[in-house]
Amino acid sequence: MAEGESPAQGSRAGGRPSRLRARDRRGPAPEVQATDGAVGESSPSAMLDIRDLRIHFPTDDGLVKAVDGLSFVLDRRRTLGIVGESGSGKSVTSLGILGLYNTGNARMSGKIYLDGEDLVAADQARVRELRGSKMAMIFQDPLSSLHPYYTIGNQIAEAYLIHNKVSKKAARAHAVDMLKRVGIPQAASRIDDYPHQFSGGMRQRAMIAMALSCDPELLIADEPTTALDVTVQAQILDLISDLQQEYDSAVIIITHDLGVVAELADDILVMYAGRMAEYGRSEDIFLHPGHPYTWGLLGSMPRLDRTRMDRLLSIRGTPPSLINVPAGCPFNPRCDYASRTNGRSEKEVPALRQVGPGHLVACHLSTDEQRRIWAERDKVAS
Amino acid sequence: MREAFSLMARRGVFGLAAIGTVGALALAACSSGSSTPTPPPSGFNKATTSVVNPSTHKGGTITFDNSSAPDSTDAGNTYYAFNLNFTRLYATPLTTYQSCPGKCGAGVVPALATSLGTATDGNKTWTFHIKPNVKFEDGTTVTSQDVKYAVERTFDRSVLPNGPSYFATLLAGNAAKYPGPYKDRSKNLMGLTAITTPNATTVVFHLNQPFADFNYVVAFPQTAPVPPNKDTGANYQNHPLSTGPYKFASYQLNKQYVLVPNPQWNPSWDPQVKQLASKIIVNLNVNANDIDNRLMAGDIQVDQAGSGVQAAARAKILSNPSLKANSDDPVNGFMWFYYINSKVPPLNNVHCRMAVEFAANKTNLQTAYGGPYGGSIASTAMPPTVLGYKSFDLYHALSKPGGDIAAAKQQLSLCGHPNGFTTNIAYRSDRPREVASSQALQASLSAAGIKTTLKGYTAANYFGTFAGVPNYVHSHDLGLLAGGWGPDWPDAYGWGWALFDGKAIVPAGNANIGELNDPQVNKWFQEMEAASSQAQRNAISEQIDMQVMKDAVLLPAVYAKALLYRGTGLTNVNVNNYYGMYNYGILGVNQK
Amino acid sequence: MGTFIVRRLIATVFLLIIVSMVTFAIFFWLPKLGGQTTYGLATQYVGRNPTREAVLQVEQQLGLNRPLYLQYWHYLSAIVVGEHYNAGPVTAYCPPPCFGYSFKSQQPVWPQMVSDIPVTLSLAIGASILWLIGGISIGVLSALKRGTIFDRFSMGVALAGVSLPIFFTGLIALELFSYRWPIFPNVTYVPFTQNPYLWAKNLVLPWVCLAFLYAALYARLTRAGMLETMSEDYIRTARAKGLQERTVIVKHGLRAALTPIITIFGMDLGLLLGGAILTEVTFSLHGLGLFTIEAVQNQDFPEIMGVVMLASFFIIIANLFVDILYAYVDPRVRH
Repeated sequence: MAEGESPAQGSRAGGRPSRLRARDRRGPAPEVQATDGAVGESSPSAMLDIRDLRIHFPTDDGLVKAVDGLSFVLDRRRTLGIVGESGSGKSVTSLGILGLYNTGNARMSGKIYLDGEDLVAADQARVRELRGSKMAMIFQDPLSSLHPYYTIGNQIAEAYLIHNKVSKKAARAHAVDMLKRVGIPQAASRIDDYPHQFSGGMRQRAMIAMALSCDPELLIADEPTTALDVTVQAQILDLISDLQQEYDSAVIIITHDLGVVAELADDILVMYAGRMAEYGRSEDIFLHPGHPYTWGLLGSMPRLDRTRMDRLLSIRGTPPSLINVPAGCPFNPRCDYASRTNGRSEKEVPALRQVGPGHLVACHLSTDEQRRIWAERDKVAS
Repeated sequence: MREAFSLMARRGVFGLAAIGTVGALALAACSSGSSTPTPPPSGFNKATTSVVNPSTHKGGTITFDNSSAPDSTDAGNTYYAFNLNFTRLYATPLTTYQSCPGKCGAGVVPALATSLGTATDGNKTWTFHIKPNVKFEDGTTVTSQDVKYAVERTFDRSVLPNGPSYFATLLAGNAAKYPGPYKDRSKNLMGLTAITTPNATTVVFHLNQPFADFNYVVAFPQTAPVPPNKDTGANYQNHPLSTGPYKFASYQLNKQYVLVPNPQWNPSWDPQVKQLASKIIVNLNVNANDIDNRLMAGDIQVDQAGSGVQAAARAKILSNPSLKANSDDPVNGFMWFYYINSKVPPLNNVHCRMAVEFAANKTNLQTAYGGPYGGSIASTAMPPTVLGYKSFDLYHALSKPGGDIAAAKQQLSLCGHPNGFTTNIAYRSDRPREVASSQALQASLSAAGIKTTLKGYTAANYFGTFAGVPNYVHSHDLGLLAGGWGPDWPDAYGWGWALFDGKAIVPAGNANIGELNDPQVNKWFQEMEAASSQAQRNAISEQIDMQVMKDAVLLPAVYAKALLYRGTGLTNVNVNNYYGMYNYGILGVNQK
Repeated sequence: MGTFIVRRLIATVFLLIIVSMVTFAIFFWLPKLGGQTTYGLATQYVGRNPTREAVLQVEQQLGLNRPLYLQYWHYLSAIVVGEHYNAGPVTAYCPPPCFGYSFKSQQPVWPQMVSDIPVTLSLAIGASILWLIGGISIGVLSALKRGTIFDRFSMGVALAGVSLPIFFTGLIALELFSYRWPIFPNVTYVPFTQNPYLWAKNLVLPWVCLAFLYAALYARLTRAGMLETMSEDYIRTARAKGLQERTVIVKHGLRAALTPIITIFGMDLGLLLGGAILTEVTFSLHGLGLFTIEAVQNQDFPEIMGVVMLASFFIIIANLFVDILYAYVDPRVRH
């Protein structure tokens, strides 16, 4: 579709600048540190600084290590895409950041610095204060994620009223405002509609409106477009991008869809079995990925700039159990290249290694080998 | 007074409640001490032979509870045993039963009348003089016309269906066709030609047959006077005008009625009743088990139905000496028995019927009806409270209460079924005692080779649709049918005419379920009413009883007893020999 | 919404007619198939040993000897236009709605039912308030504390409450609190207008026993509903907005969990208004339930019919009310 145009609704007056240019306006990417669990001061410009985050759930069957040693940094005005298959720990990470596991029986360790403040060590009341106001989240299925019995206006106003002492009337006016901002027509009348009266795309916009009502500095979008039509997907992604620019917020997009990530993310974090597999700028990940899992993901993605292949390459095998994580590299059982590591994959957990500026990979293969293998795959695929 | 036992049905319906009650009273039993076998405490049964707590104290409130309701509070429209007793508080019939402890209580004495009726014309004409200056509660004087009217209105069964039918069958003249005063279109509105009122205080009844027992017939409250201009027919029950010591203060159908002293009343009008309490409350349709609990707790004073406490309370009372001292277990004039139908084969052969009589295990039957406190083993067709009763034991009920199988087998060969036969036992399935007794009967008969199938019916239509319909009995082979009976008055006629006279057999609502049509018995009933002396009548009663048992149309089970509990503070408590329960006309209470 | 209600009301009338037909058939037609004659039926409403004339008169008065369809038609028309009745010296007029005259007492049925309604109403409403408050709060607490001792204990007690019949708990309650320790002596119904204090005091035991039964059920239902609702996505969203947990539970969780409970409550209340039979019999409260038992025991057709129609009416209206309420409570149903 034409870039910048949303066919379903009237485009903004005067068109929009293209995405690429918008991103340029954000400024250069900051240096990304290779953190390997070292605890220290958070970097000054970082909105979010995660250090060795572990989230474990004790269950009757055993300890589920949903997130097992995650570290990354996210600056304002930048977008991080977290990619992985189901069970890789992406949603758990986001919920953990928001502190939604605090009252359960999850065991969280590590550090989560939100604008310099450690959320893991903070007390629950403080985290609740920040939730919705400084950090907000939008969810995958807006129909089930919005309360069916309350109007959209009611729910948005509620979100606003939690963190702002204003009158109900003012909150309502603000809600109308937010609906306008996210591009819902006739906002003043639609504010009294119920979630089921909105179409899928409108609902997701409304959810975004709700999440942004308190002007959060960190926005986490968990599979924001998975439940939507393809045509609507693009609109939503545009919207997120525009709003990020407008509000100067940091955005994390969690998805299993590399297409989404390609649109929006500045940096990409590939997760596998609760651990980081690869991390880097989005160009690096797409053009020269280093981790065999990433290769598999890219290989299984249909691409328009390639000639049509007879079939998509899928990654053989199934995701591992998070209770009995195999020793050594968690991807080892499914890796086609494990044989080239001289058995290290089976015994040793690969550490995150820098393979380029701001590009980290957790793999035993040497950087050269990675490049070589990727070049081969790429050539075969074209 | 069969309907009195329909009360038992209402009590028994929630046999479920009995289960719960047993559990509930397990709690109570824990605290009431163990039952040690001691001689009966001094208070037990005291009211059957004497007046307990005699007192003239006036004042206080007596509360009666009833697990159902009277058939009607209109004295001309009732037949229930307890109500014949109770209505005397506001309705004064020509005669009534004597308030006197012991056998004299079954004697009939004048009430509204100055003396018992004068019989002339071979017991076919009866003359009564009513007391002058008896007044209704509104001050109007009672005349003989009011008595005549009271009887006349009972002829309209479409409005007042419940009372006895003796006047309709005994009165001469136009009684057979008389439609009642509401529909009477006769010239000059003559009414019943068989009742004449030569003056304001004289009533004369002309009967179509000699009837020596007529004093008993007028003891029914149907003769209690009703002023014609104040009669409201079906609505008269809301406030019958009183000629007795109490009058209606309020009436809520099926819920409650309250009586207060009648200021017009003069004790000379009916010496058999008293005006002591200053308020009488009657609560209707109260849970039967709850009534017993309230009695024992002192919340109420009398169980109006008067047929005894429920099984749970019985156990409690009998095992607790202080409770037992407050109770009485009178023979109440009723009997439980099984009809043996004489038309259903092979019971049409008298020897087969006699086999049943011999084979039945009387002890087990007694247990089913409540054990020794529920009744004593019966061997005759009439209970001991009936005038002319004499004990005899044709079928070894007393000598061999466990049943005489040998004699039964002998009878079986005589009737041509040496190895027994099959028949059905009909009973009321919502009466726990009848359920138990029919099971006991089935078991004991099978020991003699008589195989029976139990067939239960609901009490409400037992007589109207099943056991009381001879056609149904025949077509369904109901050879043995459970029943119970109370006397209309305490002699053989008042007890047995409806049960044993051939003329009493009717196509529905039949009480002569044995279908006895013995010409000798029929003749004796007639002779009884023509006989002039009580001694003659007693002799005839004995003969009737003996013949009925020889005809073996009745298998007697027990002479019923009822375990009654004396309410706290009640005075003048005495079991009347005819009503078989406490005399409600004389009660007072030790309260302010 | 207006047309919806009107349509339902019309359906109500039809339903009541069908109920009346079935009741009529059960009372008159089935026994006929079993061999009962109208003469035999009439003997039930006469004193013992009646003469033949007496029975025939009663048969006539009660209309038993007319063809069934005529009797039915007469019954229905009486409800709409009223009935003239032979009461003896006068002819009584029974205004609509006239549910006939009792076979047993020859008194009109409708005033009897009307006087019984306040009793059943008091019993039902009082108990329902108790069980709603008790049941729902215990259910919510149990759901929130799932697996703890509190949860197991309260669900155990709830199981007992659901399993123990009212004539058991009622009798135990009476034995302990009315006779053994006379805290509530002489339990009888006292009209509210007569003495509000006694009215409430005498109803405490029946309220508690009846509420115990239902509270148990509602606790279990609420617990299950809460467990389901609290695992819904919108609860996660509510928390993500930063709401206090208390608000999440009550405003978001309970609100959704209660919707099916409200509908069940409407049904339960409707049924109860038709007569809490076991409770009324156990405690001797003269409400519609006790009236029903008396009517059935006496085989009193007009009373049986009247109370069946009234109870059906309550149930149907309760259903209607619940449907309307549901549409109001759950917006998704409206569109």
